[in-house]
Amino acid sequence: MITSHPDGVTLNDYVDDGLTAAARADVRDHLASCAECQTVVDGLRGVQSAASRLPLLQPRREAWPRIERSLRASVPARRPVPWAAWLAVAASLLVAVALGFQIASRRAQPASSTADADTDATAQSIEAELRQAEEHYQKAISGLEQIKNDGKGSLDPQTAATLEKNLSVVDQAISESRAALKVQPTSEPAQASLLESFKAKISLLQDTVALINEMRQGPALTQKGS
Amino acid sequence: MTLARTAALAAPVLLLLASEVQAQPVQLARLYQGRREAEQSERISRKVRVGRDGRVSVSNVSGDITVSTIGGDEVSIDAVKHGTRSAFDRVTVVIDDRPGRVDISTEYSRIGRWGNTNVSVDYTIGVPEGASVDLKSVSGTVRVSAVKGSVRLQSISGNVVTAGAPRVEFAKTVSGNLELNGVSFDGDLSVAVISGTLRANGLKARSLDINSVSGDVLLRNAACERVSARTISGSFEYAGTLARNGRYDVASHSGDVRFALGDGTGFELSAGSFSGSVRSDYAGTLDIGRGRGRGRGPNRGPGQTVQATIGDGSARLELHTFSGNIVIDKR
Repeated sequence: MITSHPDGVTLNDYVDDGLTAAARADVRDHLASCAECQTVVDGLRGVQSAASRLPLLQPRREAWPRIERSLRASVPARRPVPWAAWLAVAASLLVAVALGFQIASRRAQPASSTADADTDATAQSIEAELRQAEEHYQKAISGLEQIKNDGKGSLDPQTAATLEKNLSVVDQAISESRAALKVQPTSEPAQASLLESFKAKISLLQDTVALINEMRQGPALTQKGS
Repeated sequence: MTLARTAALAAPVLLLLASEVQAQPVQLARLYQGRREAEQSERISRKVRVGRDGRVSVSNVSGDITVSTIGGDEVSIDAVKHGTRSAFDRVTVVIDDRPGRVDISTEYSRIGRWGNTNVSVDYTIGVPEGASVDLKSVSGTVRVSAVKGSVRLQSISGNVVTAGAPRVEFAKTVSGNLELNGVSFDGDLSVAVISGTLRANGLKARSLDINSVSGDVLLRNAACERVSARTISGSFEYAGTLARNGRYDVASHSGDVRFALGDGTGFELSAGSFSGSVRSDYAGTLDIGRGRGRGRGPNRGPGQTVQATIGDGSARLELHTFSGNIVIDKR
């Protein structure tokens, strides 16, 4: 039985159906009596539902400030776990991944005898979408880095060093992909590598944050609650 | 006694002590530790009936978890707690048994989580052959052998090793290595390593999802229907057979990608490296674009791309690296 509020990772896992049966039952019991966590779960389900329709999304850059404002307004500030940060990260990822899909689908279109002007326009469009996706990935990364930096003292030094070292490896990959794109802006391998590196960085930061939460909460509690 | 005389008398003793310190630092360290804290250990043993297909979970912080099979419908729990006396009683082994399952955990109270307690617990667990196990350890090695139920394993800084456990569904480690032997089932396996090496021998699964940052991935005698693998600097190697209509999607930033194929299953190949090379043993199949990639517009890099159809082209290989090399061998 969960005596305190489950953390963001646990609620994410609950929504993603990634918990053991016992842990799921514990979270369900908690949600039955905690409107606050139920609201967060509803929000995450909303993100999940939107994510399932990714290819159809046409995200607008100007929508972001409004989403951010509404998130700030709707999430209580007194909670120790940064729900707003989690949801902001999720929203940024949603947009970034949507743009990634869009880029991939455009690249997948068969090359034809299209006029050069059309080809150039498509290339420019892909570049613009790539920049936009990068911007949103960076926003999500910044959010996760903030959460990580706030709690990295919870990790043992060896694990923290391993994670930092591997984050550097990913940063190096991002730098190399960017450098390649400066020289060859339309290079598909470089574009793909940049997007994959961003995804890897997000994934690694999510792992780091999950570990921090686990260490703060305690593995025994996590075992029961996740 | 004057100060000078005292110093003169003490000097040889101090010199002797100093030379002992230099010669025997280990003994002195032990002496110091011995003066500081005494060590003790305690064994906790218990048997719990969970049924032949019951569920067993173990969550540990420091120490190894070893799980093997025993006959019958009981779980045999053997936990050895060892460490310094002062923190000893603050670490407890909790065994929570309910119908059809048992959850075992190490719980720490009123002490810091990391490094500031010298108490660890090693678990040796015997489970019914058909049981499912879910094991988590922070700094210990996790080992499972011969368990036929579903297996989920996680260690942060320890190694994860399985032998003769066919239904491993999830395995993850941050800085340890991961070794899977004899995984064989018609299900999905998700594996993650960050800096450790993943080695799998005889891996057969419907789908295999792998994520690694700097760790290498080495799959021997593999036979998977679908593989999705991502690494940043780690290399990837798949030695085994392809499934008809199988799909193999591998991307690495700077790691090499190698497939060594031992059967005649045909495949369509799409392989590309931005600045590395692509090489294949399959004669007459390569439609190589050197230094042009597949991007639209000007693309004059030194890399290669390959589009090819081998045999009936029933499987599909999508292999990409940014600066690594790609090799497709015949075994």
